Amino acid sequence: MSEPLSRRELLAVVGAGVVGAMSAGATPVPGRRGTVGVARLGGAADGAGPSIEVARQAIGSALAAATGEASGTGAARRLFAANDTVGIKLNCLGGPRMSPRPVLVEALAALLGEAGIPPERIVVFDRSSRELGRAGFAIRRSGGPFLCFGIDNDFDREPSSHGAIGSCFARLVSTTCTALVSFGVVKDHDLAGVSAGLKNWYGVIHNPNKYHDSNCDPYVADVVSHPFVRGKLRLTVLDGGVAQCHGGPAYRPDATWPLGMVAVATDPVAIDAWAWKVIDEERARRGLPRLAEARRAPRFIATAARYGLGVGDPAAVKEVPA
Amino acid sequence: MSSELDRRRLLGLACAGLGTCLLRRGAAAEPVVGATVPGDEIPAREASWYRSLGERRVECQLCPRACQVADAETGGCGVRENRRGVYHTLVWGAACAVHVDPIEKKPFFHVLPGQRALSYATAGCNVECKFCQNWEISQFRAEQVKAVYLPPEALAKAARQAGAPLLSATYSEPVVFWEYVRDAAVAGRRLGVRSTVVSNGYIQEKPLREVLPLLTAVKVDLKAFREKFYRDLVRGELGPVLKALEIIRGAGVWLEIVVLLIPTLNDSEAEVRDLARWVAGTLGHEVPVHFTRFHPTYRLTNLPATPVATLDRAWAIARAEGLQFAYVGNVPGHAGEKTVCPGCGEVLIERVGFRVLSNRLRDGTCPSCGRAVPGVWA
Repeated sequence: MSEPLSRRELLAVVGAGVVGAMSAGATPVPGRRGTVGVARLGGAADGAGPSIEVARQAIGSALAAATGEASGTGAARRLFAANDTVGIKLNCLGGPRMSPRPVLVEALAALLGEAGIPPERIVVFDRSSRELGRAGFAIRRSGGPFLCFGIDNDFDREPSSHGAIGSCFARLVSTTCTALVSFGVVKDHDLAGVSAGLKNWYGVIHNPNKYHDSNCDPYVADVVSHPFVRGKLRLTVLDGGVAQCHGGPAYRPDATWPLGMVAVATDPVAIDAWAWKVIDEERARRGLPRLAEARRAPRFIATAARYGLGVGDPAAVKEVPA
Repeated sequence: MSSELDRRRLLGLACAGLGTCLLRRGAAAEPVVGATVPGDEIPAREASWYRSLGERRVECQLCPRACQVADAETGGCGVRENRRGVYHTLVWGAACAVHVDPIEKKPFFHVLPGQRALSYATAGCNVECKFCQNWEISQFRAEQVKAVYLPPEALAKAARQAGAPLLSATYSEPVVFWEYVRDAAVAGRRLGVRSTVVSNGYIQEKPLREVLPLLTAVKVDLKAFREKFYRDLVRGELGPVLKALEIIRGAGVWLEIVVLLIPTLNDSEAEVRDLARWVAGTLGHEVPVHFTRFHPTYRLTNLPATPVATLDRAWAIARAEGLQFAYVGNVPGHAGEKTVCPGCGEVLIERVGFRVLSNRLRDGTCPSCGRAVPGVWA
């Protein structure tokens, strides 16, 4: 049941619209609320990943499925303007075995390139260069098919309050990028319940450690609904080659399984609801209590839905195979 | 009034006392003593107060938040990290601020007046005050703040060589670097340097009791006398702070209290009266209480500075409730900066700001009436 927006939420929505409109050349974001496009793509637990061509095909077809466009490139052209600076936020906390695979990120960058975004305006980033390097990414601030470096300490000088949070945002997010992509994984989180696309944005504020109470609710939703993120977020991609149903956010091999999918959505809430469902199904298969029974249901998903960010009911999310 | 030690001088101070230059401790990866490095290049140490919860999860037993922390995550303070089921402090020896301050700046008004304290801090805090003056270090994580690697022995030696008889853990929140405070106090004792702590008092009983015997004085910021304030503006709790105050007082460690009065939020007559009455009744009439002036900062920039009249009123209420040493702070030249004998009314110590103009105490007693004045005077 939806609730009326508070004045603050209304301002955020209006603010997001303004920021979105300021992104020169952007067309209205296509895609379907509550829809997640998924493509089969093998896991890489054995270290052998797909080729760039296979990865490119999987991401493109999943994007097409999520948006209803004829092709991934066509969808990308509608999502991003040629003069956008696109920031792709990875989640590499889990190390090389539980982070987005470099080949998939390269595939997404290639897709963006086909949509007209030049390499120097595709910025792949995470909290730190050290974490990126550990996950197999080469750090570079110039050259190559995309730039790749950590936020490290490059935050705004002043905090910005929004909802229950008050944080300095990474300047990459607040200032540099005009469009954003969340590129996460499908994994359990000890406090939040699920760490997929939405929780990934904790990595762009200076003080995520302050927002772990109450299963990170409403804090995750507050970070994502901040105009810096909400106004620019176009796409969420999850590398579900290998997923983790317990013991997160650190990598725990005995809790992983080969999900063998890449998931894509323009609805950032629906894809988290999908990840929640997938994790709960695997937990049930293993005889583990579902996340709600384990007292860590990802309540921030419902809060994000209430903020108008997308569809948060896992039962209402439509999975469209590529 | 504080003099920041520049890197070169600090390095010199740290090395000279050690008798060897650029001492490396242990593994080759360990930074040079006195070197400025990113916080995450200082080696982590196993924390002293935590318990295992199984499945590589731990519960921190340092502050009342009692964070339950999964592998690869940090606690709410941002400077303690679970690494495969072993909880670590990331800030032992990682001083991100080092200054030589007058002890009055802490403020301690009854501890060695006019003396200096080598004051140090690391990144991190276990609460999040919306009005934090030092949020640029307290609200950041260890790896986000540059630090000078100063192990306890180097810190104590630096104090000695700077002519400071005191160490003071301050600026951010010493509770989150409690192992460093403990070890610095031990190192200081060996060199005749006493240790003080400036804290929010949000700490569990066991770690507090373990370190108190090593301390000469503690100043606690009592941020308000209402749970709602602590919940909404501090993200902490009042109850554990009051308990900590009682423990400190009961341990015989010199205690002073600071109350930052913020317009409309904690400055009502009723709240100030309740606070003063509780201090007088529970801790004793002789515990100094400093009412200090708020200036807008961090996330609380929509309120004006505290009117002096508000401070005057609080000062009067405190004295009316029987507090013998009520002070006013952040208003240089205010009459509430003086220490006055509660027996005869003689002005004993005159101050302006952090400067002591005169000190008439004789062996800790009033020269007029002979009354003993509580404090650490020698």
